[in-house]
Amino acid sequence: MKKLLAILLAVVMVVCLSATAFADYPDKGINVICPWGAGGGTDNCLRAFCAALEKQLGVTLTVDNLTGAGGVIGHEAIADAEPDGYTFGMITWELPSYLPQDMSEYTYESYIPLCRVNTDASAITVNTKWAADNGVTDLASFIAYCKDHPGEVTMGGSSSGSVWHVGGGYLMNAAGIDIKMITYSDGAASAAKAAAQGEITGVTISAAEARSFVEAGDLTMLGIMSAERNSVFPDVPTCQEEGYDLIWGTWRGLALPLGTDEEVVKVLSDACAAAIEDPDFVEFMKNAGQTISYLNAEEYTEFLAQETENVPAAMVAVGLIEE
Amino acid sequence: MDWNLLFSSYSNVFLDPQVLLMTLLGAVGGVLLGAIPGMTATMGVALLIPFSFGMDLIPSIGLLLGIYCGGMYGGSISAILIHAPGTPSAAATLLDGYPMAQKGEAGRALSVAMFSSFCGGVIGALIMTFLSPLVAKVAMKFTSAEMLMLAVFGLSVIISISGKSISKGLISAFFGMLLCTIGLDPTYSKQRFTFGVTSLKGGLSFIPVLIGLFAIAEVIAGVERIIAGHESAYAKSNEKITRVLPDGKTIGQIWPNIFSGGIIGTFIGAIPGAGGDIAVFVSYAFNKGVSKHPEKWGTGIPNGVAATESANNGCSGGAMIPLLSLGVPGDSVTAILLGAFIMKGIQPGPMMYVSELPTVYKVFAALMLANLAMLLVGCAGVRIFAKIVSLEKRMLYPIILVVSLLGAFAINKNVYDVGVCVFFGVIGWLMNKYEFPLSPILLALILGPMCEQNFVRFMDLNQGNFGAILNYPIAVGFFVVAVGVVIFSIFNQKKIERREKANKAAAAE
Repeated sequence: MKKLLAILLAVVMVVCLSATAFADYPDKGINVICPWGAGGGTDNCLRAFCAALEKQLGVTLTVDNLTGAGGVIGHEAIADAEPDGYTFGMITWELPSYLPQDMSEYTYESYIPLCRVNTDASAITVNTKWAADNGVTDLASFIAYCKDHPGEVTMGGSSSGSVWHVGGGYLMNAAGIDIKMITYSDGAASAAKAAAQGEITGVTISAAEARSFVEAGDLTMLGIMSAERNSVFPDVPTCQEEGYDLIWGTWRGLALPLGTDEEVVKVLSDACAAAIEDPDFVEFMKNAGQTISYLNAEEYTEFLAQETENVPAAMVAVGLIEE
Repeated sequence: MDWNLLFSSYSNVFLDPQVLLMTLLGAVGGVLLGAIPGMTATMGVALLIPFSFGMDLIPSIGLLLGIYCGGMYGGSISAILIHAPGTPSAAATLLDGYPMAQKGEAGRALSVAMFSSFCGGVIGALIMTFLSPLVAKVAMKFTSAEMLMLAVFGLSVIISISGKSISKGLISAFFGMLLCTIGLDPTYSKQRFTFGVTSLKGGLSFIPVLIGLFAIAEVIAGVERIIAGHESAYAKSNEKITRVLPDGKTIGQIWPNIFSGGIIGTFIGAIPGAGGDIAVFVSYAFNKGVSKHPEKWGTGIPNGVAATESANNGCSGGAMIPLLSLGVPGDSVTAILLGAFIMKGIQPGPMMYVSELPTVYKVFAALMLANLAMLLVGCAGVRIFAKIVSLEKRMLYPIILVVSLLGAFAINKNVYDVGVCVFFGVIGWLMNKYEFPLSPILLALILGPMCEQNFVRFMDLNQGNFGAILNYPIAVGFFVVAVGVVIFSIFNQKKIERREKANKAAAAE
């Protein structure tokens, strides 16, 4: 009798669950995977965005930092999650670099892209004293110098395979120059310090990360590799303004595992579109020096397809992968 | 030095009830997090940053510094009591702390650790307050060449922490160096020893290895002792704790260790890329080297605990120097603090001393306050923490095992790390059995990557010409000191052996 009751109860529960599965999504807390550590740039951005999403969805979003293996573990966990809409995560610039490095089989096609949240552009910043000694005053004279002295200019860019390191390869490809990229595993701040010390010529890290030494006058920012100028450095021109079509930077966005119900995707994309304009989130991102650059699911997918071509090409240039 | 501003900033911070409360809360959290293996001050700071958004700058910095200082001390609690360093910076504390606890002096070891942490922290805070610009200038002289030789210098202390046999110590150290090569290489991201395992691509996680080598190995050894009948499953420590601060005699004995440890910690902490985990070993080796009785080190003397704990808390002051004056974080916690400043609209860096001087002074004051808060929390906690070892072994070992495995999991929320932890538990147990010292592995794991990265970078920048190192006088200086340390410690080791023989002979008579 007891057994029968238990089975009956189980059946009722299963029926109830499946009936309400997508009708009033979301009706419980959502788990959000962050492939990078707590307190880092991605984590900060994701936590702030989740706080804004909570207001839209009315349920609790819990950020789960699944780190390790250069972000591969977290990225794979997002794609492998149950596609019920209660687990999604943030994918970052590193995703298109995994396959060519034989780190993971996953590409952007292993996910349903939801929206791009943020981008941070690379900036070309050089040692002020070096620039003065070698007649480098702007981006054009810097590139001219690099062309006259192939392989002599050393640029630092955070750890190996990071967006700023590979960005050096992109710069080489796009501007037709030959520079030497030096890696700093301790991060961008160490690279900025090394450039200020004169150990290397300059850095390809973000404007925000080079800020303290630029303000102190040790480093000079020549150009920013984005379509628009940086809010912290309104006087520094973009590379496009200087006549070089250079766009490079890191990006972060949300993605769902393949197979997630269309209804759920719709609910979440609408919530994202609204959350991106949340005043608290906007204020937070401004203070954190991160640029909000929203793309909806469709635009984001196109963008990801393009990055999947750009990133490996730049990685070849810095010697991370063979052609 | 603007004395008026200094005094007004200190009184501002010390008289603000919100800052006091937040710093105290931070210290409580930090000590607890630090004491749990696998939970680090870095984690605590990262998790609390979102909560500090709503607060003003100084209360939130007070909260974060409270965690930072509390965590530095907290790590020693588990190192002393259960042979599991709660944080990497406490790894050298167990060299003497754990033997003290085994001798029934757990409470004394804890109070020495707390008192030394506090004094070291105050030394760090004072150096930071008065010498920041000077120290920052020295830190700016450190390029790849100097960092490489600093790492080599760090490795030179291996002999002093090798215990009885120099050759076994070196074998341990080289094993540790080999372990560092697992994963993607730091320069070209090529895979080494990964055997196609995704989890191995990021290399071995440091904390699970640490917990495995020390805590798990100790549990296995303990169970073995019980099975073999060398230890009763019902054994427990019956130490009566009569005081929470060390007595005058102990302080008289350890103050030179505290003083030198605090200074070593502050300066190593001030170099970006070198932190408490290196400082503690250097301080331990230095203090052992100049000690009149080097043979007693490692057998459970308060001096060993004092030398390491003052060094890791001195580091917190040191690490703040490049953070504030260069905008370059000295370790992982200050990297997160950097983000906290930026979010409040303040960019640490050379300009901060010009445009935000009152804030800089308030941060000095907050660090001092955080050290006081840590002392307070520590005093309140000594009796409670020491209770852990009054558990019977049959209860204690399973608890250590569970807490350790949880800690290994918590660091990356990755089951693979639990496997790593158990694997190194077995390795650690075997090494202990055959008298291979474990600390050299740890030191190699900390310094190996630093050596490799700076070496490759240096060669890259100098077209493969290692001779160019002669252009860097500080680097050459470190190398010469390193060679000196090696020679000196070999002699010291011989002296220890002679004395031990003499002691044995005396005991036999």
